[in-house]
Amino acid sequence: MTLADRTVDVVVAGAGYSGLQTARTLVEAGLDVVVLEARDRVGGRVLTEVTPSGAVVDQGGQWIGPTQDRLQALADEYAVSTFPTYLDGSNLEVRDGWVHPFTGLVPTSDRDGSADTVATLLDLDLLAQEVSPTHPWDHPDAGALDRITLAEWVESAADTQTARSLVATAALAVFGCGPEELSLLYVLSYAHSGGSMSSLIRTAGGAQERRFTGGAQQMALRLAQHLADRIVLDAPVVSVSYGDGGAGEPAGVTVTAERMGADGVRSPWRVAAQRLVVAMPPAVQGRIAFDPPLPGSRQQLAQRAPMGSVTKVHAVYDQPFWRDAGLSGQVVADAGMLRAIFDDSPEDGSHGILMGFIAGAVDRSSESDGAAGRQRVCLEELARAFGPKAAEPIEFVEQRWSEEPYSRGGPVAGMGPGVLTACGPSLRTPVGPIHWAGTETASVWSGYIEGALESGERAAAEVVATLEGAALTGTAGLDESSRQ
Amino acid sequence: MATAEEIAEAYADWQERCNVNTRLARMLRGWDRTVHLVATDTGEGFTIAVSASVLSDLRSGLVDQPDLVVSATSEDFADLFWGDLNPSEKYLSGEIVLAGSSEDVMRLDAMSMVAFLDQ
Repeated sequence: MTLADRTVDVVVAGAGYSGLQTARTLVEAGLDVVVLEARDRVGGRVLTEVTPSGAVVDQGGQWIGPTQDRLQALADEYAVSTFPTYLDGSNLEVRDGWVHPFTGLVPTSDRDGSADTVATLLDLDLLAQEVSPTHPWDHPDAGALDRITLAEWVESAADTQTARSLVATAALAVFGCGPEELSLLYVLSYAHSGGSMSSLIRTAGGAQERRFTGGAQQMALRLAQHLADRIVLDAPVVSVSYGDGGAGEPAGVTVTAERMGADGVRSPWRVAAQRLVVAMPPAVQGRIAFDPPLPGSRQQLAQRAPMGSVTKVHAVYDQPFWRDAGLSGQVVADAGMLRAIFDDSPEDGSHGILMGFIAGAVDRSSESDGAAGRQRVCLEELARAFGPKAAEPIEFVEQRWSEEPYSRGGPVAGMGPGVLTACGPSLRTPVGPIHWAGTETASVWSGYIEGALESGERAAAEVVATLEGAALTGTAGLDESSRQ
Repeated sequence: MATAEEIAEAYADWQERCNVNTRLARMLRGWDRTVHLVATDTGEGFTIAVSASVLSDLRSGLVDQPDLVVSATSEDFADLFWGDLNPSEKYLSGEIVLAGSSEDVMRLDAMSMVAFLDQ
């Protein structure tokens, strides 16, 4: 342990929704907390920006759906209103280069293929009901389910190419990963945490049901106001030394961040605490040096749970012109750069905004296209669906999450075969005084803002419980002298 | 508004199509359930049983303890059974309401959609 610049009860590493909720819960329990955030902002994978034309765009997480009660409570608390994702009119399906209108959840141009998709999704959802969102490795067939990819399962479960393609589109939109990159067990556990795969891909009645007036980052900004100077921005955690109090070692952690000084120079800043909550995805946590080293399974997890690949693009127009043509703005495509598109216009229709995801392998390979090349292809695809007007937006913005050093991708970690059964328990199991939060660790709505909030509450509860125990034994009491 | 006779006629057509659909038979395997249909505008009730992947005849009245209850207007029931109505669209808009366990709702939602698509 080195001499600390500050001493608190708990350090929280990461000021996304999970870290903010962790900190808030701990502060409400009477603990002294500091939150170290690598970026110059809070919100993590949720980022709301205003374009030069005044359009509000959510560059990351943006939706709220039924049963996401924590997020709804937070929005209510901060008087942030929601409105339904625009759904009126026909959706569009792009299949084999042709555009077909449809209503409801699944495209209907290839009715046999669509019926097969529904049957396949039902099989997947029924299987998901058998898999615990918190302990998927306990399923009696966990080994077998974790040995195959979603793609391998769909290959045998579906009869048609249409069903395989639609499941692939769903995987890309939900995970930022192709079905060939995902363990079936991981997909089942993840889907069950949000109810079912059908819940995850639905707009009305599902994960994409509503949006936040003014953007999804607002509650994070308000939480940060609430936490005030407990949050230190521009302070990436680089190393952690820790002990569990055994064999004469001091209990607790010393967390070193590279803090930006007033002179613009980064220098180490050390915070000593009794507990640390790491509130970030495993792949980002993997960049922090731990002394002593973390257990092997946790180190492997940090390498074997890579982030999905996603770029979110927004094309901004004067008005949502597609609505006049009776179109909802939603598109499902079997190929191309944008496999899923939504109407992301503000509630009052003051701008028209079409939002699409570039995901998975296409996202990675599109790096060589450059921003201009991606914009050209995206606008061609938007024009194919919505006509020539779509090729002439007043603005086109993109957010490449793979280029964000403190996300490394998005929207969520994607685990391939064998990871959950071997390393899954290390997702949440504390290591000495170190606890784990982040939406990847959530037992409900894993991968979503709701999951981030739930994980923060759970990690904070773990910390409070252990500190209460410690206080009772007198080994790590929370007396005032330990607080700054 | 559809009369009970019109609903029964539409159902008989739907039942015949469903019971020869091999994909549906596979989906319904092992799923034996009693389903009540409640017409919200006329107040009339009907009962269907699913057994051994086969849909029973439509019975008038709410018979036996249901596993699932479907509520919709009489006209929506008739349109659904004639195949003129996309059930997924109606569930999502809340015009057709399903009550039952999440698994049963999931299955009925999916089977009605497959019946619609495969007609």
